[in-house]
Amino acid sequence: MKIKLTWKIWLLIIVLALSLLSIFGSASFQKGVLITSVEENSTAFEQGLRKGQIITEINSNKISNLEDFTNAFQGKFENNQSEKIIFILDKTEIILYTNKLPQITVSNVPSTNLKLGLDLAGGSRAIVQAQDKQLSASEVRDLVDVVSNRLNVYGIADMNVVPVTDLSGNNFMMIEIAGATPKDLEQLISKQGKFEAKIANETVFIGGDRDVTSVCRNDATCAGIEGCFNAEGGGHYCNFRFSIYLSEDAAKRHAQITENLSVNSTAQGNYLSEKLDLYLDDNLVDSLLISEGLKGMVTTQITISGSGSGQTRDEAITKAEEEMHHLQTVLITGSLPYKLEIIKLDSISPVLGKEFIKSIFLAGFVALLAVGIIIFIRYRKVKSSLALLLTSFSEIIIILGIASLIEWNLDLPSIAGILATIGTGIDQQIIVLDEAKYSMFLSIKQRMKRAFSIILGAYFTAVVAMLPLVWNPITGGAVGAGLLKGFAITTIIGITVGVLITRPAFTDMVRKMEK
Amino acid sequence: MKQKIKQWHDKNYKRLLLIPIILLLFSFIYLGVFYSSTGDFFKKDISLTGGTSVTLYSSLVPQTLEQDLQLQLEEISTRQIYDIITQEQKAIIIETKTESEITRTVLEEYLGYELNEKNSSFEFTGSTLSQSFYKQLLIALIVAFIFMALVVFIIFRSFVPSAAVIISALADIIMTLTLVNIFGIKLSTAGIVAILMLIGYSVDTDILLTTRVLKREEGDLNSRIFGAFKTGTTMTLTSLVAMALALVIISSFSIILSQIFTIIVIGLFFDLLNTWITNVSILKWYALKKQK
Repeated sequence: MKIKLTWKIWLLIIVLALSLLSIFGSASFQKGVLITSVEENSTAFEQGLRKGQIITEINSNKISNLEDFTNAFQGKFENNQSEKIIFILDKTEIILYTNKLPQITVSNVPSTNLKLGLDLAGGSRAIVQAQDKQLSASEVRDLVDVVSNRLNVYGIADMNVVPVTDLSGNNFMMIEIAGATPKDLEQLISKQGKFEAKIANETVFIGGDRDVTSVCRNDATCAGIEGCFNAEGGGHYCNFRFSIYLSEDAAKRHAQITENLSVNSTAQGNYLSEKLDLYLDDNLVDSLLISEGLKGMVTTQITISGSGSGQTRDEAITKAEEEMHHLQTVLITGSLPYKLEIIKLDSISPVLGKEFIKSIFLAGFVALLAVGIIIFIRYRKVKSSLALLLTSFSEIIIILGIASLIEWNLDLPSIAGILATIGTGIDQQIIVLDEAKYSMFLSIKQRMKRAFSIILGAYFTAVVAMLPLVWNPITGGAVGAGLLKGFAITTIIGITVGVLITRPAFTDMVRKMEK
Repeated sequence: MKQKIKQWHDKNYKRLLLIPIILLLFSFIYLGVFYSSTGDFFKKDISLTGGTSVTLYSSLVPQTLEQDLQLQLEEISTRQIYDIITQEQKAIIIETKTESEITRTVLEEYLGYELNEKNSSFEFTGSTLSQSFYKQLLIALIVAFIFMALVVFIIFRSFVPSAAVIISALADIIMTLTLVNIFGIKLSTAGIVAILMLIGYSVDTDILLTTRVLKREEGDLNSRIFGAFKTGTTMTLTSLVAMALALVIISSFSIILSQIFTIIVIGLFFDLLNTWITNVSILKWYALKKQK
């Protein structure tokens, strides 16, 4: 028997194929590892390695998974010697001369284009507002710039910082970071990081590029741990030091202030009577002696120092490195313009995500199966029951296809939305099945038309019920990217796909079966 | 048999309305008393009041931890997450009104190890944000309901049948809320979203019924109602069974999804009552009056 398919059924098949293409796309055929982040200002970055590229070959070794990638660097750089490393990317070749592992992170190439939300893939999200102050929209935009810059300088690549507004007009800043949560995320985004260098309570310079033209980082000749010592009360502490360069103005200020200071002679040498005091958020970090030679000098190079302590030597080193990193970041990016307050902070572990998705699939499968059985018991028709299940199943695939096309991050609310859609979808298909049996004196075409008038009614009520969620800036809008927008978006996509594509195809299938 | 049911329904359909009226009255009184004693219509969880939720990948016994930390963490409550098949405990969830940094310190001290993204998840919502979140969700809910009501009026363009659909949907929500309260469930943001979903689910069958009764000519009133009843109950039953099964599987894993499913399952039960008693009776009353 030759079955002629109507154009509505063809449309469903085509959209279904396109959705599958959108979900699996080229990604699943590609071998290699995906670069998930590149440290800015590193050699790797300068040579053109970027987030999102796929490495297929290193030094003519084929790279098809993470293991290959790790193996490629086995035994390299053992004597701190620079080596030549040739990366083969999609179409380009990138060569690095380096004496350490390239500062990039990689992951296996994902097998689908579907992106999971923070609550399933792991990561952090923070919503921040100013303490005791209502921020205007432009103030929040400035804040977003400073904070993105700060996180960037700190070395966080995979992030998204955006301004958001709620219905009452309050402005917030939202930060989303994929993957592991940086240890001092809270510090970085909520502490102002107001750095001031003072001599006798007069400010010489502050953090930020107006006063500080450059900061030495990742260069052992001008930045690093100087030495570690036993602390008096037990434990250890380590000193760090790095040089910075001041602007002309700041250097002149230094000259003016030091000019009038007297010189003290000590056993260690001759120093000025006042010290250079370094403050971070109004706390004294360190006090540096100023040598006699700098009196009244317009000097642009200054050494900043500080220390970190811990129970063990290693702990003290880590702590000192962290402190140094933090100070460097603050000196480069300057202070945040406002005192901030974190009003929402989620850091989600990726550990349970996979199992979670497994149980969602199981739940979906069991639910669909149960629906199939009920439909079969009610109508006693294998074909109709199968058609109904297939239609619902293709609806899921089309929703996922659209989600990966618009790069929607699938989070829990989105999944709830998909379930809701499938539920109403099945309901509407039952209406179609029943209308087909009902009032047999009408033509099947007329009967299907009637079914559709009910379905359209139900469709519009459902869409308008979702709209407030999308409009509402907190639940939908930008903040909603993580909160509830997913629910509204997948529901609206789903029921619209239903009314435009799957339901018409299903009615045609039923018409064929009834004839 | 069919004839007998028809006769019985013709005689008693107005009396049947007493069931939803009594339930609705009870709900109003219950919610009223609840509101006067708590200042709100339902219990809210930390996503709506503010607080910290910690997921700890550990095999600790939740009750022990709850008892041990009662004094240090404000309004602490715990539950476990386990594999549905092996029944093995995967994690415990700790909810408290205490803020996240303090919670972290208290837990690290108690457990004796550092908490990082490999062994735990932290979710903190400040009370100002969650309060504004709550307010906005309520606004979204009310606006959604009004929009739905408008669409219903536009579809049927006649007052009593439209009002019947809207009353049934409203009764659904109010009865569901009451039962959720009686069960002692603390509503989260997801719970409010579930109520939003309920609007869609409950109106579906009402629209089906009203269309069949008002816009069709064939058959008498009772057979049109009965036809709609057959279709509608199949719809609701499939949803109900699918949601209940999903609930059983997912409840071991996700608080968010299991709350959504619980509320929808309760709501669908009341939808059966409100569509096939409340809405049918009002509609039949209206249709018979019009015939005369």
